[in-house]
Amino acid sequence: MRLEKCYICSSTVYPGHGIEFVRNDAKVFRFCRSKCRKTFHMKRNPRYLRWTKAYRKSHGKEMAIDSTFEFERKRQRIQRYDRELVGKTIQAIQKVDAVRVKREKDFYKSKMKQAKKQEQRTAVRELEKGINLIEPDILRVKESVRAREPVQQGVALVERDQSNTSN
Amino acid sequence: MIQNQTYLNVADNSGAKQIMCVRILKPGNAKYAHIGDIIVGVVKEAIPNMPVKKSDVVRAVIVRTKKMLRRPDGMHIRFDDNAAILINQDNNPRGTRVFGPIARELRDKNFTKIISLAIEVI
Repeated sequence: MRLEKCYICSSTVYPGHGIEFVRNDAKVFRFCRSKCRKTFHMKRNPRYLRWTKAYRKSHGKEMAIDSTFEFERKRQRIQRYDRELVGKTIQAIQKVDAVRVKREKDFYKSKMKQAKKQEQRTAVRELEKGINLIEPDILRVKESVRAREPVQQGVALVERDQSNTSN
Repeated sequence: MIQNQTYLNVADNSGAKQIMCVRILKPGNAKYAHIGDIIVGVVKEAIPNMPVKKSDVVRAVIVRTKKMLRRPDGMHIRFDDNAAILINQDNNPRGTRVFGPIARELRDKNFTKIISLAIEVI
């Protein structure tokens, strides 16, 4: 049983799933679902589609270069069946997978740190650029406050006078 | 899914380039032919100065179809074009070379000569 990878989205194609397309030069393309097959026939490049693994890796969204990826590879040399070796391999798979998951998490964290800084920087830049749009509003508010102040003072004076006369 | 009037490319060097299906040689009144089925065709296009001439009536076996083919393990396979190989009455190929990929199903139908000539069996 061999688990293949989808040509477009790089997801695993399990036996009995998906469609194989054989081009006339005998190159075989496997697709996990009709969405991937249709994108292929529309001649789209998976590197330029945002939802594919190829895009995410080539644009630095996900960990692309790592020694843990070296283990999962198609090997041309045929290995003689050895029960001990199979057991060892299965144990190693779990270990390698744990390392890979941890590294991916670290990669994501460092990536998000950078993203936060970038976000703040862009926000400041935008504010500096568009400050003139907000400024007149601030001035108008200040003026109205200033205009209101003398009236309030006048009202307070009148009230005080009235209280004095009544006394 | 090859039916009468379907045009097929010829994937060998017999001299024919394109044939049109006129009869499906299957028991009963079969409407469609698939990979590994034998059909009778008319040569619509041929290379000059070759034994097979235009408008010859020929027997051919289908080797590639655009309609997907279901394997027993559930995998579906489809090819780039509809293609056939000209054969004689003993089911041996008339040409000496086979072009392009060939489906593995032909071996089960005893077209071993074609399989051995093919460069790529998928």
